[in-house]
Amino acid sequence: MDFITKIIELFSTEKYMSSIWKGLETTLVISVLAALLGLVLGTIVAFVTIANDTKWMKIPKIICKIYITVIRGTPMALQLFIMAYVIFAIRGFPQVITATIAFGINSGAYVAESIRAGILSVDIGQTEAGRALGLPGRITMLRIVIPQAIKNVIPAIGNELIALIKETSIVSMIGMYDLTMAAKIIGSGNNMASYIVPMAVVAMFYLAIVYILTFGIKKIERRLRASDRR
Amino acid sequence: MKKIISLALALVMLLGMVGVLASCGDDAIIVHTNAFFAPFEYYDGDVIKGVDVEIMNLVGEKLGKEIKFENVEFSAIIDNVKAGEVCDAGAAGITITDERKEKVDFSIPYYTSVQYVIFKDGTVETKTVDGVDYIVWEALAGKTIGVQTDTTGWIYTDGEINATEDNDYGYAGVLYDTDTELKNFDTAQLAADGIIANNNDVVIIDELPAQYIVSKNSALKCLPLYYSGETDAEDAPVEEQYAICVTKGNTELLDAINAVLTDLMKKDDAGKTEIEKMVMRHMGLGE
Repeated sequence: MDFITKIIELFSTEKYMSSIWKGLETTLVISVLAALLGLVLGTIVAFVTIANDTKWMKIPKIICKIYITVIRGTPMALQLFIMAYVIFAIRGFPQVITATIAFGINSGAYVAESIRAGILSVDIGQTEAGRALGLPGRITMLRIVIPQAIKNVIPAIGNELIALIKETSIVSMIGMYDLTMAAKIIGSGNNMASYIVPMAVVAMFYLAIVYILTFGIKKIERRLRASDRR
Repeated sequence: MKKIISLALALVMLLGMVGVLASCGDDAIIVHTNAFFAPFEYYDGDVIKGVDVEIMNLVGEKLGKEIKFENVEFSAIIDNVKAGEVCDAGAAGITITDERKEKVDFSIPYYTSVQYVIFKDGTVETKTVDGVDYIVWEALAGKTIGVQTDTTGWIYTDGEINATEDNDYGYAGVLYDTDTELKNFDTAQLAADGIIANNNDVVIIDELPAQYIVSKNSALKCLPLYYSGETDAEDAPVEEQYAICVTKGNTELLDAINAVLTDLMKKDDAGKTEIEKMVMRHMGLGE
């Protein structure tokens, strides 16, 4: 019962709700910007890694491999920390940009692997058929392989976006005012003096964001599968 | 390929521009704090308020500069101030210690605090001498102690648990070899929640934050922490003094802070200093 009265107290106190709205705004801004950066970066890296071995591609390929290995192999919290306290240790530098870049770079590595897997999962026979019909390599890729790859990739990308949104909760570590920080503030000594209720409420907000996102992804998937014979 | 290169270049240029824009024309004094330490600093909605904020704003007025508060982890403040790159000063109820003095310059102390123990009633042996209730370090033997990382509570507890006369600490820790465990938390509040969740037995934190937490959690109590002396009368509280720290060599700012603090610490007719009044005001107790 105490739990419920405290939830009601939280929702009916203007000060607490303004904290949550501000936190929600930061979380959404970082998530959206980082997702966009991650998609762009991931796509570029994916195409570099699957490109043919020519002498021009050698160095970019090595760079991309190192990038994916390092980013996937180190904790996100550490990457954020290094971004905030080493690379962007500039006076008055907007933290939203620090966080966006840190999460975008992190997300990019995972997106790159998803896209690479999606492209490689398209049967080689499709490429061969395209080439046999006299299409140049680039057109085969663009018109035959990629459209099929996109369909394969969307669930994996959706997964990555969901993980990204939830992972942004660690930005409170560098003092940013996101949803998790809002919960910490509402739960601090001079407010409710217990983390449990605000954390539970904020979890509902994360759930709502992710639910809306999954809904959108499902819709896109269904649209893309409309012409499938299954 | 051309497209990829141009895109990458555009990205780099954009980043560069942002960097340049951000780094120039910023004349404000940036102060790092950890806004989970009411009444010295806390978030009221989305603004940071508190005693330290009021003090620094007076310093800003004196120097004719804007003061910007930024909220960071408590454990990062001293190192950030030491580097002096992202901030000029740290105001977070920071206790003066010798280790910290090596890294930053401290102002004159403006508040004396004692360490408090938060505990569930009946789980810790308390002591009463001359009507004063307190807890001695020995009573915490074998307990799991929760602290906020890098606060003085953490420094003292770590010392009492790990120190022997033979190692780097150079003194005999009261809790050495007593199976006492130290647990680190981001904030004192999280450590206090840990007591209710049976994660840890007690929390050691400064007096005022402890009283805030206990006043809103009926299951918890708090009492001052004492070093035990030869006799009961010689038991002494774990005292410490707060000061504001600045990057080493920034004498202009340090002098201004010291001047403001000297003014604020003058006693009025009722024998109260302006700082004490600020503390009362921010605790919601009126003047």
